[in-house]
Amino acid sequence: MNFYLSGLYFLPLLIGGILLIAPAAISRIIVILSSILLSALALYVFIHVNEPLYFTVPHYVNEIVAGADILMLLYFGWVAIQKKSWLVGVMSIVQLAGLLYLLKNLPAGESMPFMVDKLSTFMFLLINIISGIIAIFTLRYIEEENCSAFRKKFFLALLFFFIGAMNLVVSADNLEYFFLFFELTTLASFLFIGFRKDEVSVKNALTALWMNQVGGIAILAAIFFIAYNGYGEITFSNLLAHANAEGILLPLALLSIAALIKGAQLPFSKWLLGAMVAPTPVSALLHSSTMVKIAPFIILRLSPALKDTPVAMVIIGLTGFVFIASAISALSQDNFKRILAHSTIALLALMIMMGAVGTPVTVVASLVLVLFHGISKCMLFLNAGVLERVFHLKQSSDMDRLGESGPFTALVMTIGFMSLLLPPFGAFIGKWLSIETLGALATDKRLLGALVIVAVAGGGAVLSLLYFKVMGLLINRSGEKDHIKFEKTGPYYAGTIYILLGLVLATMAGLPLLLTYYFAPVASATIGQPVPVLTEGWNLFIGTMRIPLLPMLIAFFLLPVTVVVAMFIRFRQVDRAKEYMCGEKVNYAFSSFYFSTDRAIPYFSAAGILFFIALIMVALI
Amino acid sequence: MNLASYRKKSPWILHFNAGGCNGCDIEILACLGPKYDIERFGMINTGNPKQSDILLITGPVTKRTRERLVEIYAQMPEPKVVISCGACASTGGVFRGMYNCEGGVDQFIPVDVYVCGCGTRPEQIIDGVVQALGILEKKTKALEESVKLKKEAWQEDGQLNRRNIADEIKPLLA
Amino acid sequence: MNEYLIPVLLIVLAPVIGGLVYGFDRIVKARMQRRIGPPLLQPFYDFLKLADKRQMMVHSTHAFLGIMHFVSLWFALAVLLLGGDLILVIFLHLLSTSLLILAGYSTRSVFSHLGANRMAISVLAYEPVLIIIAVSIFMINGSFDTSVVFASDQPLLYKMPLAFIALLLILPIKLKKSPFDVAEAHQEITGGVEIEYSGLFFEAVYTAKWLDYIFCYTLVFLFAGSNILLGIGLVVFTFFYLAALDNSTARVNYKQMLRFSLGVAFTLAFINLLINSLI
Repeated sequence: MNFYLSGLYFLPLLIGGILLIAPAAISRIIVILSSILLSALALYVFIHVNEPLYFTVPHYVNEIVAGADILMLLYFGWVAIQKKSWLVGVMSIVQLAGLLYLLKNLPAGESMPFMVDKLSTFMFLLINIISGIIAIFTLRYIEEENCSAFRKKFFLALLFFFIGAMNLVVSADNLEYFFLFFELTTLASFLFIGFRKDEVSVKNALTALWMNQVGGIAILAAIFFIAYNGYGEITFSNLLAHANAEGILLPLALLSIAALIKGAQLPFSKWLLGAMVAPTPVSALLHSSTMVKIAPFIILRLSPALKDTPVAMVIIGLTGFVFIASAISALSQDNFKRILAHSTIALLALMIMMGAVGTPVTVVASLVLVLFHGISKCMLFLNAGVLERVFHLKQSSDMDRLGESGPFTALVMTIGFMSLLLPPFGAFIGKWLSIETLGALATDKRLLGALVIVAVAGGGAVLSLLYFKVMGLLINRSGEKDHIKFEKTGPYYAGTIYILLGLVLATMAGLPLLLTYYFAPVASATIGQPVPVLTEGWNLFIGTMRIPLLPMLIAFFLLPVTVVVAMFIRFRQVDRAKEYMCGEKVNYAFSSFYFSTDRAIPYFSAAGILFFIALIMVALI
Repeated sequence: MNLASYRKKSPWILHFNAGGCNGCDIEILACLGPKYDIERFGMINTGNPKQSDILLITGPVTKRTRERLVEIYAQMPEPKVVISCGACASTGGVFRGMYNCEGGVDQFIPVDVYVCGCGTRPEQIIDGVVQALGILEKKTKALEESVKLKKEAWQEDGQLNRRNIADEIKPLLA
Repeated sequence: MNEYLIPVLLIVLAPVIGGLVYGFDRIVKARMQRRIGPPLLQPFYDFLKLADKRQMMVHSTHAFLGIMHFVSLWFALAVLLLGGDLILVIFLHLLSTSLLILAGYSTRSVFSHLGANRMAISVLAYEPVLIIIAVSIFMINGSFDTSVVFASDQPLLYKMPLAFIALLLILPIKLKKSPFDVAEAHQEITGGVEIEYSGLFFEAVYTAKWLDYIFCYTLVFLFAGSNILLGIGLVVFTFFYLAALDNSTARVNYKQMLRFSLGVAFTLAFINLLINSLI
């Protein structure tokens, strides 16, 4: 098993190294093969790891980790000097000072730095499959990028380094290691966002850098308090073992802050929105499917300790607020990628909230959302890349008549948006589970539960309005042709999108099986108690929650099938008439409607800051 | 079950003002009010050609409305009847011969019932509609052609002279 | 067997009953205006007439989505009447509405687009309230299933009167009645999304409206629990309330509608939720 695991860690790094020097033709083959290989490895590991797997590393690795930490922070400091960004500089100095202090004073325990459990393998599967697909997509995308040949190679290599860092982050148990890998993903996002090197990119990259560095500082502070309070080893598993100890709330709160920042929750949502200037595969990779998923991952990891604490309550309140606030902010956006980014933040909030509630059903809901959101959003982001490259569209208001010029892209995007909103798709199941379990929470934690339900209900309605707005543009067409001809976008674009579409539809169709054999074991391993999933006749029971399968099955025929059939169906015996426009013959340009919700955004940020202060306060008290 | 017999039980009206003085329109709206209440015959003023059975036209056709009228007529699914409501819609009325005026409705689309008056009284409109329902029941789903297309007009100030060709088009209208 | 007989009958006959309700609604409205009004079976005459029209459409996608709107709405109604999960029912209703909204967007017709936009905003106006009412019901009954609600002896009305008022306030939005009929607005955008439908295809959208009546009155009936007399009383009351409201108010614009529904109805439902969670 260790062999396969080390494959997951070292293979991406190795491939990244090769890609830096290999010629373009070979690197294509390498990328495709290694994507398949990594996915297969992740699947193998997922199937075969049932008990948490601890493994140790030689002693000199500790030194390497410490050295890498210092090197990276020095690099950040150099960036700060070069770009004259005092925020990054201050953060780097604080981090460096804290790290040096800790390195000097920490007891050298014999802890196992790595732990691979069901949750880690769940994340492996998501990371490697989605990132692999994105890597294949990138092969074509980066060719059309306006930059030197080396930077194109560098981009691909960075992508694989990033996969490696992500694989490491989800299997780190020691917080010091975790800090390094966390910062590595920060570094990757900095390099990715600043890839285009224009003024806006550099500015947004620096924003992303300092915001994520705040997360790093929070992790360092957590390590400090764990050591200071004398809980012994600075590992996640040790932290969970001391779940009821006094003063444990502060490290938990600090780690949660790191998670919330990585998950771009208000007021730290700016970095994710700014990241949309980067090439589209970056948006897909960092901000839809993988990197931001660190946030729900940390919360899920901590959820047995967090459950029912005041910290969890504040997190629930914050994420409930973020869910509705970012849905409202999304309404005023026109840039397609920014719309996706806002809805990502909203859904991340829901995942974090479910993780923080921490009952069996909510953990399942969180996992369901993590997976389905990852697939659907990745598909949408890659389509945004296709729109940008093939159709030269960036604003959603320009997408008028896309249904005629690019029927396949329009169809896939419509399905993608529906999969985030409506039954029978997985994201709907996640939302449904959350509303029902929050109802149960509300009988227990009355006021909070009620408020959060309001946020979820309201935010969900606002999001549906948002999705309708975009879907409306996609489905618009003036007439019909006898035979729909899908546009040619090339094998890389079309292939990856077909794979993702297949994944969306397959996961939806196989949902009952996935719930039983995929989500439930992961959830029960995560929270350390059994999650009973039973199938009785046409009902699926998760804990106390009942999912009737027959309505879902019929909903499947009503929604995805309808949308696809509606595109191809032809009523041949029926006459066609022009649209009614009071008899006028004017060519209208159709666009969607806007809501000027921009004015509210500063208030949202202020409220977010208040929530963060509250998070620290409750932990201190 | 003879579906055609239900046509007269639910005639939905589209009201089009081709350029009149609004006198007839007000009378049409009076039909909807409590005094005449044409809804008791199942009639609705839809405002949408795609769901209407009866096209109720007031006013003479002007140069601006000509194409719109034909467009809207074409958007109504058959079977349908056209009522020209008032003197202007039927012949051009007092506007006949003006620089902006094209004349009666039937130069452009086939008219089934002519309602006289300036402006028409609600009773007359209702009577016209009831007559139109009789015609509606006998109609098929086939397309119809305008009088002008069937009969070369005898020109007098550029318009059809109804008095001279009335006898000739009678068998065509039947 | 018996417990399924009535719901199944209701589901199968839903379009017929809905048509009768609509016909009666038109009579009542006419009488309130001192008119005689159409015959009771008028909706069915319309139905039969529409079946006999020449078939016309803008394009097949649009027509097909209209038909599927009817089918999915009937399905949502079936799940509601058979005692399904209330949240699922609300989302299935959203599904059917979404198909109609998409149909509205799918044409290049100005009025259709305006109607679809406004309909999407109507969804925003009523959906949160419905979800909160559903959660309130859950807090009282401990279950989201409507079958539990239908079987409970204690009528919900006495326990959550505020939620009932909130429901009464959003029903005009859902049924597109004045003052909240912006989505349809016959005098303004001539029917909104339904404008491009004609003949057989319009029939689907027209009949779906009747189903919506049944759907809404079933929601009202939920508040009576197993007390059938009270349920009928509530439905009759709501019926006359809606007719009177429709006759006596003028249309507000969509912003006012949104402000009212989120400001008043939503707040009422929320206060109700708080009270329910505190007791």
